[in-house]
Parts: sequence; C-alpha cells; structure tokens
Amino acid sequence: MFASYVFYARYLRNELLRRRTRTIVTLIGLGLGVALVIAISSLSNGLDRAQKKTLNPLAGIGTDLTVTLAPQQNQGGGFGGPGGGGASRDLIQANQSVITDLSKLGKPGTHFVHDFFLPGTQLTFKRTDTKQISSIAGVGGVTQGLTLLAQHQEGIVPKIVATLKTQAKTITQVRKIPQPTAAEFAAMQACFAKLGGSAPTPGANGGAGFGGGGGGGARPDRGAFSKCLPARLQKLRATFTSPSQTLRQVLNPPQTNITTTAYTIGGVDQTNPTMGIVTTAQVTKGRYLAVAGGREALISQTYAAKHSLKVGSTLDLNGTKFTVVGLVAPPLGGQSADVYLPLKQLQTLANEAGLANVVLVRASSSSNVASVQKAIEKALPQAQVASSKQVAAQISGSLVDASNISKNLGFALSVIAAVAAFLLAALLALSSVGKRTRELGTLKALGWTQRMVVRQIAGESLAQGVLGGVFGILFGLLIIAAVNAFGPTLSASSTTGDSSLLGLGVSTARTATSSVSLSAPVGVTVLATGFGLALLGGLVAGTAGAMRAARLRPADALRQVD
Amino acid sequence: MAIQYELSGVAKFFERGSATVRALDGVDLEIEAGEFLALEGPSGSGKTTLLQLLGALDRPSEGTVLFEGRDLAKLPDIQLAALRLRSFGFVFQQFNLIPTLTAIENVEVKLAPVGGGREKALQMLEEVGLAGRADHLPAHMSGGEQQRVAIARALSVEPRVVLADEPTGNLDSATGGEIIELLSGLAAEHGSTVIVATHDAGLAARAPRRLAMRDGRFAGLGAPAAA
Repeated sequence: MFASYVFYARYLRNELLRRRTRTIVTLIGLGLGVALVIAISSLSNGLDRAQKKTLNPLAGIGTDLTVTLAPQQNQGGGFGGPGGGGASRDLIQANQSVITDLSKLGKPGTHFVHDFFLPGTQLTFKRTDTKQISSIAGVGGVTQGLTLLAQHQEGIVPKIVATLKTQAKTITQVRKIPQPTAAEFAAMQACFAKLGGSAPTPGANGGAGFGGGGGGGARPDRGAFSKCLPARLQKLRATFTSPSQTLRQVLNPPQTNITTTAYTIGGVDQTNPTMGIVTTAQVTKGRYLAVAGGREALISQTYAAKHSLKVGSTLDLNGTKFTVVGLVAPPLGGQSADVYLPLKQLQTLANEAGLANVVLVRASSSSNVASVQKAIEKALPQAQVASSKQVAAQISGSLVDASNISKNLGFALSVIAAVAAFLLAALLALSSVGKRTRELGTLKALGWTQRMVVRQIAGESLAQGVLGGVFGILFGLLIIAAVNAFGPTLSASSTTGDSSLLGLGVSTARTATSSVSLSAPVGVTVLATGFGLALLGGLVAGTAGAMRAARLRPADALRQVD
Repeated sequence: MAIQYELSGVAKFFERGSATVRALDGVDLEIEAGEFLALEGPSGSGKTTLLQLLGALDRPSEGTVLFEGRDLAKLPDIQLAALRLRSFGFVFQQFNLIPTLTAIENVEVKLAPVGGGREKALQMLEEVGLAGRADHLPAHMSGGEQQRVAIARALSVEPRVVLADEPTGNLDSATGGEIIELLSGLAAEHGSTVIVATHDAGLAARAPRRLAMRDGRFAGLGAPAAA
C-alpha cells in the first residue's frame, strides 16, 4: 500500500511541476491575496497597538481617575461669582506674574535665564482634600502631583532710558502799587524840592502824578523820582504758585533678544513609583527618580529630542541644578509633562510648598471606578474628576484619525482582501478542476473510486494552498518591512485647559504631543489567518470541484471535451 | 466456455434538449469468456455506448447487463469501481493518458489502487515494446507509442475483459494493424476477453466474431447470439 501513496505523491508533484504556468498563476493569485490580508491586518494591529499605548493615558500610570480643580468660569458670570470668581482672579494674578519685571533681572546688558512656574488652569488643593479623597470607600490608592506650566525666558537685560523735556513758559502779572503814606509823601516832596522840582499835590492828582510826572512848574528829572521814592516802593515783591501738572509719556519697551519658551513641568511623588503622573513603567532609558527625592529629573523623550538632552544632562532651573536620570514616554493625557521633578523640589522652586494641583486616584477594583468618581465629585463639588475614557476623548491628531480609519476601513479592507483571496483561490482551483474533467473521468474508468479522485485533487489544492500561503507570507512580510522601513509618523496631542482662558496674554493650555512611528507588528495569528485562508480557499474549492467531477459517471466525464 | 456477459433488452437514451436520442435501442447479446469480438458500425451507431455499458462506465436506461451473473445496473458505485479496476481494462481512441505522467507512471495509475507496482508497470511496458521510453511524457511520444502505453495500462492488472473503443482511430493503418496485433496477442496470452469497437471493416475482419451496428441495434452480419 505504501507504494501506492508514493505514486499518489508523485502524481501530485508532477501535476504541480509539469503544469507550471497554471501553478505559478495560482500561487501568485493566492500569494497576493494572502499578502494583502497579512499586510492589512498587521497595519491595523499596529494602529491598534499605537492607539492603546498612546490613547489610553491613565491606564499607563496605574491610575483610574485624575482629580483637578479648575476655575468655574460659568459660575455667576465669571468675576462676579463669589467663589469661582475669586479663584479665577487668583489664577490670573498667579499667571500674570510672568510679565517680566525687567528691573529685577540684573544690570542692563547682562545675560539672564529665568524659569517662571505658572499654575496654568489648575488650582491647588487644600491639604485636607487629599485626605478626604483617600477616605472615600472604594479608593485603593491616592497620590499627589503638581503640574505647572513653565515659561523659560532667556536674553539680555535691556537698558531703559527716558528723556523728558518741558516747554519754556512766560508768566504775566498785573499789580497795583500801594499809595505812599502822608509821612512818606512829605519826605518825597522834600526830596523833590531839594533836587529842584515841584512836587505833585496829594489827593488831586496823586496817582497820576506818579505816572505822568505832573504838569507845570519845575520838572524834576526821572532820576530824582526814583531817588525820592520811599524804600518800600522802590522794589515790589510778590509770590505766586504755578498750577500743579503731571507729565505723561508712554515708553515703548526696548527691543530685546529675550526669548520665551513654554514647557510643562510635573512634580512626582517619587515615593510611590507605580502610581503618579509618571511611573517606572514609562521609563525608557535610565532610571526612575530615587525614593530620597534629590535633585533629579526625568524628561520626556520628545522634550529630550527637541533640546538634545540625554541621561546625565543637567537642567538649570533658576540656579538649582537637576541631573537628568531617565527618559520617559508619558502617555498622552491631562497630566503629562515635559520635565518631572520630585514633588518637594518643584514645590520649592515654584514657592508652592506643600501644595499639589492634581490628585491621582486608583480604585480598589475596576468595577467601582464609576462609583468612586461620583463619590469624589460629591465630596469636592468644585473638582473635576476625569476617567481615562474621558481623557482619551480629548486626544486628537493623525493617530486618532488613522486609528478611526483603521477601525472602520481597515476591518472592511481586511474582510475584502480575505474574501478576495478566498474567492481567487476557489476560482483558480475550480477552473483547474473543470479543465481536467476528462482526466478525472479516465481515472474513474480505470477503476479509481470517487474518494480516491477527490483525495488526489484535494491534495493538489492543499499543496497549492500551502505554497501560496508561504508565498503570501513572504510577500506580506515584504510589504510590512517596507511599511516599517518608511514608517509614517503619526501624532496625537492632548490639550487641557482653555488656551484663551479669561483673555490672558499667556496661554495657560497644556498641550502634550506624542508621536508614534507606525509599525506593523507581525503576529502569528495574522500569519496563520492568511495562511489558513489560502489553504481553506484552495481546499474547499478544489474538493468541491473534484467532487462534482468525480460524481459524474465515467462515461459522462469522458464525453467532456478538453 | 462460460457465458461472461448476458444482455437483454438493453437501451440507453440521452436527452438532447427536448429530443430523446436512443443511442442503444433494445439490444440482446451473450459473450463468452476469452472471446475476441468486434463491434462494427459508423459513428453514432451505438458502439461506444454499448462498450461503456459493458465496461460499467454507465448504467442502461432499460434492460439488464449481467456480468458473470451480476446485474451491473444494481451494483453500487463502489462495487462498479472495483469491477472497473480489477476486471476491465479500457483502451480509448484518444489514448487518455495523463499528460503530466511519464509512460511508466501512466501504467502505475492503474496499479496504484491495487497496491502499486513499479516493476509490474515496467514489465508491462516491456511487453508492449516500450521499456526504453518508460520516462517519456505522452507529449513526447507518437500516437502508436501512446496507445501501447494505454494497452500496457489496461492489461497491467490482468483484467478479464479488455474494452477498446476505436483503438486505431487516431493512428495510420500500419500502426493500427500493429496495435490490433498487440492487443489480440496479449489478450490471448492473458486469457482476456477482447471487445473492440471500430468503424474500420478491415480491422473488424481480423476478429473471429463481428457484430455490425446501426442506429442502436445489431444489423446484418452475424447473429447476436454466441457463435
């Protein structure tokens, strides 16, 4: 019997090898179909993976809920509201402190670097709030964080000189000269007489005599007049005050080379490395912050790349030097930052000792996340409690688009490719069997049973399916390799806070962007699916065709024209 | 000699559109084991149809075909296949070799279901004088050579009946003569019954028993009963 199977195998091999064109066409068809299925599914998987990694922000940080306090802008018309309005005002004051007081930076002409830490749109918690949250039933863990918006300013302290020039003024004053007393007048007359002139008569022409000099008689000269005036009237004294005046001039700020760059900075409770705004799980290079909480920093990969920083680099924040100990890939979400410091260090830098503006909560089990969220909202009515789903909903960008496309179109394409591969395999197998009806009739005439004929053809289809599948896998891997090599970069970004909050000049929004290079991971499942499809298509169609032909009476099969 | 075939009232109809073609129209026939029988007639006279009924390639529309006492119409497919395999050997006008198989492999096609036998296949090729061409593909052989391979294939399982349908139809007359010689000689050697359908009267004349067919019936020459 063994000899028979050796023959059947040889027959099979000969069919594939000696009908080379047909076999090659079949293999190419099957291979392309399988390759398409593999490539599309892999791309789709790649997108899913990128999405899971990037768009599921809180899961990555061991947290179910983030609690923040934001000013209630709609309460009582903004500033008018007693509680919310006050909070907004506080925030504005805190944020406006960034308006650089140039005079405090140093002498004009010197270079300065300064980092300002702003609370952005998040208010700080009262110390009792965190305690209150941790006492809520169903809360498994609570940790604090502080995320601030930093403005990094750098440049030369400018010199500011203003020159004020006032106008020249002429002041006119009219004053009546008082009449001389009788004694003075007598003295004057005596003086005039002595100098040889008639003195004016008092009373009748008193005043005029002074101006006109009198008429008739002897004419005293003008020098005599001034000599004879009493000393009191020889010099007139008067005091007057000009009206008070304020000079106003707008000074244009001087042109300087001061540059401002914004980044986000987060304070991490480094004593709780599995939970927080960044955790050990996100460290991609280097290590996590030491529990002791020294002057160490973690920086995000994107920020590191942008500023050519690496593990071991030093960050100078207003004179305090921090060593970069690790690079992290924080998931997108409300509380991701570019730079992470131990919480206490950041609090010191930002003069916010003991304060935090984000509380991360882990529920004791995933089933009570919703109830814990409600409980926190009830306990702290002014707090915003976000679950990972809500945070993910804020994320946008090409990754989200591609992911959405992949969810809908990718699935459809996979199905279409799969169906196409299957149909192609089936059609090729059917047509190949159809052309061999006479051959199959001959086999039956020679005494082959229906089962033997079907087995032989099914074997051929199976072999073609295997070869087509292998070819398809190779071709699919090639496509994937090409995608991975050219790796289109997709990005996702998350913006929290309102960029136009209360019309501040400084944007208080935090925007975190994460770029993911699209890769198509090759899964065994994907390969097996493609392979299985090729096998199944060929096998089902081959067997069906063979059965149809083999069921014919040999006489009918033989009558078929080649 | 024992009666091998017993046919009574055998008819075969084909539906051709709305018309019914009576390919075989009530035939009675007895054939003894070891006979050399020629079925003679123009194409469409029913020779091929009769041959296919004798070789269990088809079932009659009417009547009974008894082969060694068994009614072929009543046997299940699996037993008919077994009969075709072990008891009958077919030779076709078109040779019907498998194009992707070599001469020896084409003989093995018949031997494989009974347990294989490359030596037996080679021995058969020797008997038909083609031992040297065992590894040639049909496309690389002449018509005569191909028909020899077909004869080797038909006889390889020592069948009790060899059925040849126009075995020389695609060959020149000299080659055709050789093929008939070979067929009759080997059949006699193996003790097989040979039934040859042909439209060539000269060829039919070589057979000890000739049956002329026309319009699905026996006509003229010889009696339908055993000689």
